[in-house]
Amino acid sequence: MRGYALQRLALGAVQLALLTVLVFLLTSLLPGDAADVRNNEDATPEQVAALREQLRLDRPALERFTDWAQGVLTGDLGTSLVSGGPVLDILAESAGITLVLAAVTLVVVVPLAVLLGIVSGLREGGRLDRSVTSVTLALNAVPDFVLALLLVAGLSLQLGWLPATWVGVGAADLLGQPALLVLPVGVVAARMICLLSRQVRAGMVTVLKAEYVTQARRLGVPRRTLLLRHVLPNAAVPGIQELARVGDNLVGGVLIVEAVFAIPGVATALVRAVEARDVPTVQGLALVVAAAALLFSLAADLVCHRLVPRTEVLR
Amino acid sequence: MKRVNLPAAPVGVALLALPLGVALLGPWFAGPARPGVFAPYAGSGGPHLLGTDGLGRDVLDLLLHGGRSALGMALGAVAVAYLVGGAVGLLAASARRRWADELLIRPLDVLLPLPTLLVISVVAVGWRGSPVAIALAVAAVNVPPVARLVRAAALDAASGPVTEALRVQGESRSRIQLDHVARSVLSPVAADIGTRITLAVFLVGSANFLGLGLDPTAPDWAVSISRSREALLLQPWAVLAPAAMLVMFTVGLNLLADSLLARTRRTQEAVR
Repeated sequence: MRGYALQRLALGAVQLALLTVLVFLLTSLLPGDAADVRNNEDATPEQVAALREQLRLDRPALERFTDWAQGVLTGDLGTSLVSGGPVLDILAESAGITLVLAAVTLVVVVPLAVLLGIVSGLREGGRLDRSVTSVTLALNAVPDFVLALLLVAGLSLQLGWLPATWVGVGAADLLGQPALLVLPVGVVAARMICLLSRQVRAGMVTVLKAEYVTQARRLGVPRRTLLLRHVLPNAAVPGIQELARVGDNLVGGVLIVEAVFAIPGVATALVRAVEARDVPTVQGLALVVAAAALLFSLAADLVCHRLVPRTEVLR
Repeated sequence: MKRVNLPAAPVGVALLALPLGVALLGPWFAGPARPGVFAPYAGSGGPHLLGTDGLGRDVLDLLLHGGRSALGMALGAVAVAYLVGGAVGLLAASARRRWADELLIRPLDVLLPLPTLLVISVVAVGWRGSPVAIALAVAAVNVPPVARLVRAAALDAASGPVTEALRVQGESRSRIQLDHVARSVLSPVAADIGTRITLAVFLVGSANFLGLGLDPTAPDWAVSISRSREALLLQPWAVLAPAAMLVMFTVGLNLLADSLLARTRRTQEAVR
């Protein structure tokens, strides 16, 4: 166990290091740099050159990278070109809301997906299984952004049950108004539940057919003990492995949902920074979000190993 | 157990046909979708079958123009991903030395957990509005899973009895690799390709929806959805029509892929 955990941690560290290089490479290879953009058309070439010097964009890429990486290591993500303040401030302002959104989504998704997977996997081909499978298949074919808009049109604009945007909402109001969270969380959760419950169902179906389960049944192990102690831990493995991968859906869903509902979170800040070509902000925010995703997959892998020990770190 | 089965494959083909047809042939039948030609938000019916959008463009014309980028970028991205990922996977599987295999596949494994939309937003900082850059970014995030899938399938085939028999017969290595191994990879690839295209369509659509991809006035389906979403109740067709196209495409593709998958599974069981 400890060996695996250490290896997996080492892999995570390598991934993080590669990630920093990748983020920097992608943003520093840009055609036209930040100085060009900030000055638009009406700046003279001299002004652009002066700004470039001020932003120290004229130095070699390697030097800029080591500077930036050193800053990141000491907790300094650089300075935003748009606001002039530290990127860390932008992150601090927006991270809370995104974290609440992601955490609530996970709290909704995991038990629901496991429950759906178990009940549909218990009776493969039964009526419940077929209806759950067709609903998840259909939902899986609707893009996040379409689903979000349809729900807003139906539930908020037509029926007026739920708020359609978060405009004018601060982080402090969030816990006082849980209705705000219903639609965004629902949209992000929908696709994740589809993916996860299918994996849990597949795991249930395979394990229930295994010989050791038949044998345990023959020995008279009570049904509940059999399911909870013997079937579930093994059946959960594909689900948890999938959980390590749905981090991607979580990040993507949060990006979409924040845009649709005008939620002032990290994703909104990131998209805005991309639009303004605020390179340091994009670098900082992308790095933090990607690091969070890596951490998430690390945690899922460790849980998975605890349930069913494997020796290889990379599959 | 009695089961009423919808004929999934024909329904899938029928659902796929409309968006694909619109994407392929639409631009030839459409008028120019320039902004400011008509009054904004004209109702449906009358001269405009589906009304006009906020910029005064005919929604039907937009729809006919928008399929090429929405589906083309995704299909192109998947094609590139399979070309690169497939080559890497086959090379890794046929490598004679273990370190060569590791060298090819491990770096991809390391990049696997990167959030895809995040990669696209980083790429979009410099190359916004360039369909090729976005498609390449979508292709790049799909290379690691494809390479892994192809490698696993090829290793499976390379260690099977057929390969051994071919080797005993004295067939050349390249012949075995290309004739048998590469061909037996095709069936898992066929199973994977449907979901991969769906994901790519979603990804390209999401990027365009967020404004990370094409120009905000482009006729692309996802861009239209994003542009007209403020007027969802005023002019629902401007959002619903392109959304319906995207959903029909993915539902049709999933149905078709599932039925193909079920068929190969049935033949495999029959062979066994």
